[in-house]
Amino acid sequence: MITEVGHFSLVLALLMSILLAVYPMWGAARNDIRMMSLARPLAIAMLLFTLIAYASLTWAFINNDFSLSYVAQTSNSLLPVYYRITAVWGGHEGSFLLWITILALWTGAVALFSRPMPLQMVARVLAILGLVAVGFYLFILLASNPFERMLPFFPVDGRDLNPLLQDIGMIIHPPTLYMGYVGFSVAFAFAIAALISGKLDSTWARWSRPWTLAAWIFLTIGIALGSWWAYYELGWGGWWFWDPVENASFMPWLVGTGLLHSLAVTEKRKIFQSWTILLAIAAFSLSLLGTFLVRSGVLVSVHSFASDPTRGLFILGILIVTIGGSLLLYALKAPGLKGQGQYHAISREVLMMGNNVFLTAATMVVLLGTLLPLVHKELGLGSISIGAPFFDQMFTYLIVPFVFLLGVGPLSRWKKQSPAALKNQILLALGLSLSAGVLINQAYSTFSYLATLGSVLACWIFVTSVQEVVQRTGKAFNLNALTKLTRSHWGMIAGHVGFAVTLMGIALTSQYSVEKDVRMAAGESAELAGYQFVFKGVKPLNGPNYTGTSGHVDVFDKGQLVASLDAQKRFYTVQRSMMTEAAIDSGISRDLYVALGEQLDNGDWGLRLYVKPFVNWIWLGALIMALGGLLSATDKRYRLSKVALAKKSKQYTVSHTASSPEVLK
Amino acid sequence: MKKIWLFILPLIAFVAMTVFLLSGLFSDPRYQNEVQQDRALPPFKLADVMQPAKQYDESLFHGQVTLLNVWGVWCVTCAVELPFLTQLKEQGIPIVGLYYEQELDPDFGGKSLPQIQSEITQQLSKLGNPYQINLFDQDRSYSMDLGVTGAPETFIIDKQGIIRLHHIGDVNQRVWQNKIAPVYQQWVNQ
Amino acid sequence: MKKLMVLFFAWVTVFSVAATEEQFKFTDMQQQQLFRELTHELRCPKCQNQNIADSNALVAQDLKRKVYQLVSQGKNKTQVVDYMKQRYGEFVYYQPALTPATFILWALPAFIVVLGLIVLFRKRASQDIDPDKLAQAKKLLEDE
Repeated sequence: MITEVGHFSLVLALLMSILLAVYPMWGAARNDIRMMSLARPLAIAMLLFTLIAYASLTWAFINNDFSLSYVAQTSNSLLPVYYRITAVWGGHEGSFLLWITILALWTGAVALFSRPMPLQMVARVLAILGLVAVGFYLFILLASNPFERMLPFFPVDGRDLNPLLQDIGMIIHPPTLYMGYVGFSVAFAFAIAALISGKLDSTWARWSRPWTLAAWIFLTIGIALGSWWAYYELGWGGWWFWDPVENASFMPWLVGTGLLHSLAVTEKRKIFQSWTILLAIAAFSLSLLGTFLVRSGVLVSVHSFASDPTRGLFILGILIVTIGGSLLLYALKAPGLKGQGQYHAISREVLMMGNNVFLTAATMVVLLGTLLPLVHKELGLGSISIGAPFFDQMFTYLIVPFVFLLGVGPLSRWKKQSPAALKNQILLALGLSLSAGVLINQAYSTFSYLATLGSVLACWIFVTSVQEVVQRTGKAFNLNALTKLTRSHWGMIAGHVGFAVTLMGIALTSQYSVEKDVRMAAGESAELAGYQFVFKGVKPLNGPNYTGTSGHVDVFDKGQLVASLDAQKRFYTVQRSMMTEAAIDSGISRDLYVALGEQLDNGDWGLRLYVKPFVNWIWLGALIMALGGLLSATDKRYRLSKVALAKKSKQYTVSHTASSPEVLK
Repeated sequence: MKKIWLFILPLIAFVAMTVFLLSGLFSDPRYQNEVQQDRALPPFKLADVMQPAKQYDESLFHGQVTLLNVWGVWCVTCAVELPFLTQLKEQGIPIVGLYYEQELDPDFGGKSLPQIQSEITQQLSKLGNPYQINLFDQDRSYSMDLGVTGAPETFIIDKQGIIRLHHIGDVNQRVWQNKIAPVYQQWVNQ
Repeated sequence: MKKLMVLFFAWVTVFSVAATEEQFKFTDMQQQQLFRELTHELRCPKCQNQNIADSNALVAQDLKRKVYQLVSQGKNKTQVVDYMKQRYGEFVYYQPALTPATFILWALPAFIVVLGLIVLFRKRASQDIDPDKLAQAKKLLEDE
């Protein structure tokens, strides 16, 4: 019964989205206040009906209703309750319901917290969000309905949740990532609404910024969580694989980062509107493209959902309408836009936009690297692979000028910066970061040029950030002066420093990590990077829905016990699949990482040992970046939006308390 | 506006991408090894797994178009295709097996030869025996020369001992009719 | 400061002695490095999207062993990669070869950088008529 309520709610939500797409837009065109006023109630109604649908599916999972084919596919009665709640997004249909629920959440949030905006703008923005939603409600109802029943014959028990997803990282990762992906729909809607109205002033940029920031924060955390999860769950010690699905989330992030900066320039200086609009369209378009790539099965990836071409065709249809339509509108309207501000060759806006160019080039690298194998094959030229060596090489080239500009940008003034005044600061920063970077790498017995380059770049950002704060606070460097800096200013600093921390982590861990495949009998020991790994033997493991083996390894540093690790190998009985649970001793300066392999014929065990210096800095940096975003989004300038954001996250917590309160941390 | 093409460029790029995404939807994204085709079989000296005293080389394939099928008793998909391959054999199509043993580690040694032989006999008497002989690729090194990624895989070898097709995955009615049979016929008729 | 730094990082020495049996043992550090590099850049042809170092698939194990053999024999990187490409095609190596079709991979990003910077500066040049004064004038007009 509750299932039918959920199903019906979803149909009603579709109805609301259709009305939302039509009436307010029409009203805005005719300047009819009554029609435009319908936008907010319709958006809220769409949200409520979607939440009811989502809750009913969760209910079906909690109560093990295996008459629903989706529940039977992704859950099992032995699965712990908390995993049953998260299993709702463990498969294609449910994760799509989560996707659309989050779209409804963002739409509802815009409806609730857009009071100071002119009604016409609100009506247009919500109508565009409604239009995007129509496609996805249709898709979920027609091609991936999670409420489909298997009656009268249904299985007594379910096929269980994919063991890879039975993990804390996987509980938080998808909702956070979707919040980011889908969040760009708001920036997109603002951009399209502005294109339609032809009004692209700084108020438009100011309204759009907090929403863009919010989406970007979620996306940053979502990507970092995914990387962290892959690191400890897959057991290969890697944290980024340039897999098509990772790339699909990385592209909107790159463009979103560009958009944040471009919006700042447009707000401050009333220039580059058409570029900012294009980035807003691109960020959401790439999110949609990512959704298509993950779910259509056109690319071979470790993450792909099983799929059939109808689903792919449907999503491609949505892409053509949404992206094609908006780019067409852009081609028609954007050439008419004219910037107002003037600027010199060396000025903050030029430096910021210069970095936008590099971010765009980086996005293009990822896009080409992801899609070219497909194109290559479709052209009949055979299978090729594009992976880490290519991406690493290209990113190394791009990051040097990027980081240089990133450091100089904040030091320079809007409109015009005298090069002579900059020169001394640059020379000082260059000297300091070069020596610090080289010094750090001197500590390693095998000197690596790439790691040194990375460390120098990271130090460059640290040094220039400090220089910038000193410059801002004047000669009188004291705490009082520091507190005068705005929150969004601190946000910028945190964003940049966070990036530097991540960069430092990447540089050191990718060059100085050491690993070893060993065969060990109980009692034997192996040495790696000065650590003594002693294998104590294995003992059997009994979980709720798995059995397995746990191998115990003690790690000594100069005779001192520093870590006691239990690396597990689990066998999930229902899905009949083997999972490695690596054991990690995490630290700020290094991780000790042990993964249990196969048992050999003579009773020995295969083990993989890793020592990974500074690997945690990668995710720590992402966290600092996200924190920077949060500081900026809660700046006084967006006071009204600030209240909005707080309320919105509260609302988000309410709907997700059961599953993931951590999202907000 | 002189720079109007700059604003149309994104749309053009998107349309171009869509064309490939669309055609990509209808093709198999999995890897197919195309480099082996039209290449002579790499030279080999392999024993018959059932009679290790008997050694064979490339000349085994000379004179008739032959299917070379990579398989092992441990491989589930191979077991599925055995009955179909047996049908093909009954239609007079010569099939040679390349026995691909799954030991995790050749350095450590795996099953003994008599053990493998008895497993093969058992499997083939149960599901049908399509093979003229089974070449024993003990350390899988010949398979690597052939670009084999696993089992089952099937090659068409023409009368001159040249590889004309490399198929990864199982052979069933559909694959046979659409992909393998046309190539096979072409080289038989030649 | 410098001493402190050195001390701080000193524990991460890449020097290591195997007490237990290592699966792929090298006496030459450079060969070990090459082996590590190759196994991370060669793709497992049977898997979804994994390099042969990470994969446990049978063919990945075989390729790893072959790489070990070849590297131990003193073969260089190109020789090992060519050996693999000869058997498995371009697909097996994660760095695409430069061909007319893959040229775009390097050309388009470079083109974007050049075009972007040109547009950025062109736009400025056309507006370079004493921007400060113009802005001032504009501001005056707006304020009125």
